[in-house]
Amino acid sequence: MVQPIVRLQNVSKRIGGRTIIDKLTLDLPLGEVFGFLGPNGSGKTTTIRMMVGLMSLTEGEILINGHSIAKDYEKAIRYVGAIVENPEMYKYLSGYDNLKHYARMIPGITEHRVHEVVKLVGLEGRIQDKVRTYSLGMRQRLGVAQAILHKPQLLILDEPTNGLDPAGIRELRDYLRVLSKEEGIAVFVSSHLLAEMELMCDRVAIIQNGKLIDVRTIRGTGSMTDQSRVIIEVDRPQGAVEALLAAGHSAVPEGGQAIAVETDRDGTAAINALLVSAGFKVYGIRTHVKSLEDQFLEVTGGERIG
Amino acid sequence: MGDFLQLVRNENMKIYKRSRSWIMLAILIASALLISIMWLSFGGRDTSMWEVISTESMILFVLLTIFSVVIAAASVAEEFTSGTIKLLLIRPWSRNKVLLSKYISILLFGLLQAAALFLSTLLINWICFGIYSSLDETQQGLLFPGGSNPFAYMLMYYGMKLISLVVTVTLAFMISTIFRSGGLAIGLSLFLLLGVNNFVLLLGFLDYKWIDYLLFMHLDLTKYIGATSLEDGSNLWFSLGILGAYYIIFVALTWYVFNKRDVAA
Repeated sequence: MVQPIVRLQNVSKRIGGRTIIDKLTLDLPLGEVFGFLGPNGSGKTTTIRMMVGLMSLTEGEILINGHSIAKDYEKAIRYVGAIVENPEMYKYLSGYDNLKHYARMIPGITEHRVHEVVKLVGLEGRIQDKVRTYSLGMRQRLGVAQAILHKPQLLILDEPTNGLDPAGIRELRDYLRVLSKEEGIAVFVSSHLLAEMELMCDRVAIIQNGKLIDVRTIRGTGSMTDQSRVIIEVDRPQGAVEALLAAGHSAVPEGGQAIAVETDRDGTAAINALLVSAGFKVYGIRTHVKSLEDQFLEVTGGERIG
Repeated sequence: MGDFLQLVRNENMKIYKRSRSWIMLAILIASALLISIMWLSFGGRDTSMWEVISTESMILFVLLTIFSVVIAAASVAEEFTSGTIKLLLIRPWSRNKVLLSKYISILLFGLLQAAALFLSTLLINWICFGIYSSLDETQQGLLFPGGSNPFAYMLMYYGMKLISLVVTVTLAFMISTIFRSGGLAIGLSLFLLLGVNNFVLLLGFLDYKWIDYLLFMHLDLTKYIGATSLEDGSNLWFSLGILGAYYIIFVALTWYVFNKRDVAA
C-alpha cells in the first residue's frame, strides 16, 4: 500500500459541548479524486478547515505527508493547496497582484510559474484587472490558480463548482482528472451535489452529522459477476415471467410491457436466448444502475439534501 | 523557511495599492499647506516659521494618529470580513509571523506619515515664512521650553509623539484582532483617545492613586521635553514605564488571541 498523502485519525471537533465531527478516520492516496459528500451542516467544511489548520482539533490527528498539521504546521501545509468555501480574493488588487501575493509566501515560485498558472486557468486576458470587476466564475478560476501555484500534492476544494457555468464545471472536472491522473496528486472535493460528484470522483466518502457513514468506489464497478437489476421489455410480460420462473430465474413483472430480473451479465445473455427461443419478442434490455443519489439516500436514510 | 521580508512586502502592497492610504497622506500635507497659507494671509510674513511648524505639528498629529488607527484597525479586521484570512493563513508561515508582518507594515505607515508631515511642514513654512525670521527671547522660551534650538525641539517632539502613536496603534490593532471588526476598532480607539483624553483632565483633579496608572494619563509625553520631572509629581520614566506595561499587555493579548482562534465564517 502506498503511503497516503493525508491521514485523518480519530478526528473529533467539539464546540461548546456539541460534537461537530465525531471520530473521523480517513486515508487519501495520491492520484485519486476523492469526494466528500454530505448534507448541509454535516461537517464537511469543518473537516476541511481542520485539514488546513484554520481550526484546531479537539481530538485525533491529521497527518499530511507524515507531518502533523497541529504540531508541524509549516511543514505539513506546504503540500496543500486549497480553496475553503468561496475563493475570496483581495478585490482592490488585480488578479495578478493576488497571485504574486501568494507566490511571495512560498519560496521558489518564479514569475514564469505565475504566468503558467494564469494561462492554465484561462485568465490571461483579464489578469491585470482588479478582482472587483471579476465574475464569480473568474474568481473561482483565480481561486484554483492560487491553490495550484506551488504544485501541491494535495488539492482541497470546497464546493468548487459553485458559481461555475456548465462549460466551466466540465472544464474543471477534466482539469482535476488531469491533475490526479497525470501529475499524480490527490484531489479532495467536497460537495452536496450528487450528480457532480458522480462524474468527478473516483471514490466518495459520505458524512452525516459529523460521522463517516460510508466510503464508496464510483469508477470501475460492473464486473462480470455483479448482480444487478435487469429490466427486459417483452410483448407478453406475464408469459415471460412464468417461462423464466420455470427455468429457475427470479423474475417479477415490472409494470407495463416490462419484467425485472436480478442477475449478472452472463445471466442476462442466457435469459435473452431463452426468451427468444421460446418465441417472445424482446424489445429492449437495460441494466438498472443505482445512481449515487439512490445510494446516498439509502445510507443517509432519505434525509433531504440541498 | 521563506523570506520574512516578503510577508512585509505583501502587507505593504495591501496598504499602498489602495487609494485611501494616498488620500490620507495627501490630506495631511494639504492641511499643513492650508494652515500656512491662512496664517500667511491673516498674520503676514512677520511670524517665525518655527512657530507655525510647532502649531501645525500639534494639530496635524491628531489627524495622523486617526489615519494610523484606521489603517491598523483595517489590517486584521478586513481580512476577516472579506474572508481572505483563510487563504492568507494556509501558507507555510506561522500565525505569529503573519501577524508580525501586518504589525510592522502598520508601524511603517505611521512612520511614513510622520516623516511626510515633518518634511512638508518644514518645506512649506520655509517657503512661506523664510528661514531667517527668528523668534525673540520670550517667544522662544514660551514655545520651545528647555532652551534648545527649535529644530532639535521639533525632533524631540516627534520622538515623544511617535512613542504615543505606537501605543495607540497597538491598541487599535489589538481591538481589531480580538473583535475582528474594523469599525469597532476605529471607533473604540478614537473614543478612548479623543473622548477620554479630555475627560482624563478632570480625572486628574481627583485624588485617587489608581488614576496614576491609567494609560491615558501618560499618552502626552511632549510635556516632558526640557524637564523630565514636572511639578505635579509626574515624571518621564514613570510615564514610559506605564506605557511599556500597557504595550506588553496589548501585544501579548493580540498574539495570543490570533494564535488561538478558530477561523470560521
